[in-house]
Amino acid sequence: MKKYVDVYKQCMYSAIQTASAYRMNFIVSSLITLIGNILFPLVTLLIYRAGTSFPGWSLYEVLLIQSIFTMSSGLSSLVFGGLLWTTMSHVREGSFEVILLKPLNPLFYIVATTFSVESVGLFLGGAALFIFSAMHIGAISALAWLQFTGMFLAGTAVLAGLSLMMAAMSFKWVGNSRISELADSVLHVGKYPLPIFPKAVQAAATLIIPVGMVGYLPASALLGRVQAGDFIAILPCFVFLWAGIWVYRHMIRLYEGVGG
Amino acid sequence: MNRLKHNWLICRAVAEVTYKEWSAYRTHSLVSVIVGPVYFMVQYFIWTAVYGGQTTLGGLDLQQMIRYFGATALIGYLIMDFADWNLSMLVRTGKFLTFHLRPVHHRSFALFQKLGHRMLGFLFEFLPCLLIFIYIFGIDMRPASLPWTLVSVLLAFLMNFYVNYTIGLTSFWLVQSGGIRSAFLLVSGIFSGALIPLDFFPHWLQVTQLFLPFQYIAYMPAMVFTGHYSLGGLELSLPEAVGMQAAAVLVMFGCNEWVRRRAMKQFTAVGA
Repeated sequence: MKKYVDVYKQCMYSAIQTASAYRMNFIVSSLITLIGNILFPLVTLLIYRAGTSFPGWSLYEVLLIQSIFTMSSGLSSLVFGGLLWTTMSHVREGSFEVILLKPLNPLFYIVATTFSVESVGLFLGGAALFIFSAMHIGAISALAWLQFTGMFLAGTAVLAGLSLMMAAMSFKWVGNSRISELADSVLHVGKYPLPIFPKAVQAAATLIIPVGMVGYLPASALLGRVQAGDFIAILPCFVFLWAGIWVYRHMIRLYEGVGG
Repeated sequence: MNRLKHNWLICRAVAEVTYKEWSAYRTHSLVSVIVGPVYFMVQYFIWTAVYGGQTTLGGLDLQQMIRYFGATALIGYLIMDFADWNLSMLVRTGKFLTFHLRPVHHRSFALFQKLGHRMLGFLFEFLPCLLIFIYIFGIDMRPASLPWTLVSVLLAFLMNFYVNYTIGLTSFWLVQSGGIRSAFLLVSGIFSGALIPLDFFPHWLQVTQLFLPFQYIAYMPAMVFTGHYSLGGLELSLPEAVGMQAAAVLVMFGCNEWVRRRAMKQFTAVGA
């Protein structure tokens, strides 16, 4: 276990050093990510500015959902952000063998070496928006914070699971740079209050691909709106992560070392 | 006449080759068949909820709004472009030299490539999504005026290309124009009207959009499709709107040519 912790620490250090080597690129990328996050809730702002709303949700409550979604994406992206592109690149070039030859779990190695420092901007942008919107929703109890923490971690597990599944897909769908769009489109549901969607979509977004846990349910916990039944949705989140790991490891076994 | 025929043959050959080249990756295009309808479905429920009991928002009723998002999605498939990325790559690697030596202007070559690429997009993205929108979502996707919509989409196609090509030209100074490209994509995504109709923006920002290229790429063709164009207090008939779009494309072409001539003086034919 200590070996894995040491390797991960070393990889994080290397990622930071690499970012320092290309400082301007790092600053510009982080800045654009940060601005992108500030502009992300623009649609919501404009909708509320037009004098309308998502029924039953105030502007700050919707912003809270979107900020939690962004923070969760930032955290997941920090750890799993480079997984898809690196896997895709190795599979396309037929160089995945190099990873298989390392004296480490290949999944761990690829996750550790793709630690994505640029995603700090994504997380910080979300955190800033989170603080801003949380300040406008009134007092939050300690129990609500506890529920939020559990659901936030579950939501991040969903994103990690999605990253793993998309990366696993690249073993068979070789060189398709649009795989990530599949995940992005599904995640779009998680950026808005789930009750605006039909029951079938709500059920799918809670139990099958639990994207509702990425923003909506943790925000509901802070707002004191969760029902006892909502906590059941935490389980499919971790099942989803486990499924992602399983699928990725299974696809490694199917890997054929042919470049193209 | 011979020169015209010669140019037509080049255009056809480049478009055909690009079509065949990308046909090998047609499943890439098929991703849109899942992604497009999912995005559209989310927009559908968002706006259905937002309208609630209201009849109009931003000058559009719910049906027009749904048609607007359907149109922006479909037009997006017809005009999609990455000429900036391509040009940037050619400059960075020094491969632009080979185009400099060819008896065809690189900008024309890139435009014909886009034509071939989008023909594939028409078959594998536009048509399947159009059928999904009509038969699964039950959206009326008949344009208010087919001829004006076609002209407007064609102009949006050109506008998108010239804007992207100009962004790509910055590589002659910067070598790596990834940062500018990302920034442009960000701004364009918001101000083209693909996320939300521009009528929702503050008045001063709507007026600003009249002088920027973004609205001519998505908002204007989508509004021409719905049959009603207004922005920043300016209300235009369809021929007037398309005329304004044509003028904007000409201005953009002029800007592109101006930047291109300066860029050629920077070219060193050395890869990085």
